[in-house]
Amino acid sequence: MSRRYAHDDASVVVVIGSGAGGGTLANELAQKGIDVVCLEAGKRLTLADIENHPPTMFARMGWLDRRIGPMVWNGKTVGGTTMFWSGITPRIQEHEFRALSTYGQLDAGTTLIDWPLTLAELEPYYDKAEDKMGVSGTHGIPASAETNNYKVLKAGAARVGYQEITSTRTAINPVARNGRPGCQQIGFCNSGCAIGAKWSTLYTEVPAAELTGHFELRTECMATRINHNKTGKVTGVVYVDAAGATHEQKARAVCVAGNTVETTRLLLNSESAMFPAGLGNSSGNVGRHYTRHTFGIALAVMPGEVNFHRGTRQSGIVLDEQYHKPERGFAGGYIIETLSIAPFDVSNIVGGWGQHNAAFMNNYTKLAGVFITGEDPPEAGNRISLHASEKDQHGLPVPVIAYRDHANTTAMREHALKMSKAIYDSLGASHFHGGDIPVGAHNMGVARMSKNADDGVTNRWGQAHDVPNLFVSDGSLFSTSAAANPTLTIVALAIRQADHIAERMQHQTL
Amino acid sequence: MNEVQTTRRRFLAASLVFSSIAVAAETWLRGAAAWAGTRDPATLARFGRLLFPLDGLADAVYVQVMDRVLMSLVSMQPGDDVLMITEQSLNSQQAGNWFDLDAAAQIRAIENIQHEAHFAAVLSAVRDTFYNDPAVWAHMRYPGSSKEFGGYVQRGFDDINWLPEGRS
Ligand SMILES: Cc1cc2nc3c(=O)[nH]c(=O)nc-3n(C[C@H](O)[C@H](O)[C@H](O)COP(=O)(O)OP(=O)(O)OC[C@H]3O[C@@H](n4cnc5c(N)ncnc54)[C@H](O)[C@@H]3O)c2cc1C
Ligand code: SF4
Repeated sequence: MSRRYAHDDASVVVVIGSGAGGGTLANELAQKGIDVVCLEAGKRLTLADIENHPPTMFARMGWLDRRIGPMVWNGKTVGGTTMFWSGITPRIQEHEFRALSTYGQLDAGTTLIDWPLTLAELEPYYDKAEDKMGVSGTHGIPASAETNNYKVLKAGAARVGYQEITSTRTAINPVARNGRPGCQQIGFCNSGCAIGAKWSTLYTEVPAAELTGHFELRTECMATRINHNKTGKVTGVVYVDAAGATHEQKARAVCVAGNTVETTRLLLNSESAMFPAGLGNSSGNVGRHYTRHTFGIALAVMPGEVNFHRGTRQSGIVLDEQYHKPERGFAGGYIIETLSIAPFDVSNIVGGWGQHNAAFMNNYTKLAGVFITGEDPPEAGNRISLHASEKDQHGLPVPVIAYRDHANTTAMREHALKMSKAIYDSLGASHFHGGDIPVGAHNMGVARMSKNADDGVTNRWGQAHDVPNLFVSDGSLFSTSAAANPTLTIVALAIRQADHIAERMQHQTL
Repeated sequence: MNEVQTTRRRFLAASLVFSSIAVAAETWLRGAAAWAGTRDPATLARFGRLLFPLDGLADAVYVQVMDRVLMSLVSMQPGDDVLMITEQSLNSQQAGNWFDLDAAAQIRAIENIQHEAHFAAVLSAVRDTFYNDPAVWAHMRYPGSSKEFGGYVQRGFDDINWLPEGRS
């Protein structure tokens, strides 16, 4: 059952954040009998709190604290952004782990490196992650049911000659499994799944960890600083609870999984005489090399009814363009994934007004749609930093997000939208909209793993290069973005990191 | 602005509107109440239909939606009136009042000012109310939340019937 630990109990591992990375890591450690205190800034909802209404749920579980710069979509709730996510879970490909070796440095501004680990090393953890999350088409789990929107994609993609068209690779139960039901096709999963068919740490990892008796979740507890001793080892985490009281939880090791923006903020706010540029930031790389994938959205008016609001947003993907084929005019590849959105979002994405906008809105039930996610090269200028004077409600500096598309990203998006148009045109689409979505939903890179300590923040296990008992455990670890949606890899890395931490504890080196 | 309205604005930003427009929309909300008094709902509805012309949608729905936007603004503090600026801007496109022009001329006038920030703010706010309105949804045959009905697993999530057979 859920345990309670004393603030001065220095034997615990403190995990910050209960989303994909933190929730998984905490559970994996607790399963091994390691005592964990998880600090989570948000509240704990139940499935009864989930309404099928995106604006309501954004207000209820989104990260609304002040930020400066382009929008980053995060959760502030137990489960983090896994409450909002769509569940698409492809693996990163072998060549993408060797981004620099494969693509070469694109220009003077890009900061590509190779990952300090290989696909072969991560494969056993991908297996475990897929099993844990219930990824369709793996571990004897059936393929996802084919929605109307997917059937349109499948037919059109086949017509343009694509072959790797699959309704697998989604962490939404096609059928009941491990105490969670099969998807009922309620739709608009991005406002939370009211029945728990979509994997989220809220109702998987967190309760599983509680059952071990080695885990305490403290909700509405915002970590504000990580303390260290004279030898440079971390000793505890300062946090503010729901009542506004400040505490310090002592710790044997600290694992940060606040999702890129907050992970950066916490490390930079933990500066000290010994680490004047921020904890773990001797190389100056904390907050840098921020990537968020090449994103794109395509919508088309089809000749017949599609009703894409019926059922899950995500029921299939096309993988043919995920490879590195420089003859297309850009490095790396992209994945085409089904997308369905509510009326307001369609109008907003198509943009404008009058007959142009109405051409889509008058045909809402005939719309088909896809989402593009692709490799996004890191650049030193794309970064998260702290504002010099603006403070949030906790008195902490507000984060400043700087991000712009690289020319490679723009070229990739253009190609992806051209191909999406061809898919829908092949079936007789009458109107097509293709464009960008300026939102960070996949956030990566700000504490990246690197072989060389000068190139990143963490080593191949996600341990800070310059602090032996400080770990990063979220998408911040990604050395480069790859094309795949990030969460399966975040979970695989967290499972692997738990093994590493347990091993070091056993050998008394942590 | 109360808390719900504030988070609503933030949702707008999250819903892929550039945040500058969302901020401008807040400014508009503060000013629109003043403008509301000067226009009757039917005239506003005509404006709504020009922006978001849905085939066959009854005037009554446009009236109801536009009226509801304005009613919700009454309690708000006055500020920069971007709606008023928009009207002035529309009126300055030609001789005579924009509201008295025929539809084609009205559209031409809007086209001339569509890249101005105040118009973007007005458009964003009307879009938000209009396309989140259940009566508008119903007309578009989007029934809203499906949780209460057990989702679409038994109600047509895979009922598409016009696709060409097989792979050609
Ligand atoms: C609309 C949408 C759709 C998506 N779809 C997909 C998809 O299909 N496939 C995919 O792979 N990915 C998808 N993603 C991305 C996915 O949600 C993230 O990659 C994943 O959740 C990141 O995990 P994380 O552990 O890094 O952070 P999160 O899941 O965001 O968890 C971080 C947690 O830390 C907490 N926290 C932060 N700072 C502090 C602090 N200082 N103290 C205490 N707690 C703190 C937060 O409240 C939060 O709960 C999607 C995202 C969005 C927004
Ligand atoms: S469509 Fe399926 S996964 Fe998505 S919210 Fe509904 S039941 Fe959950």
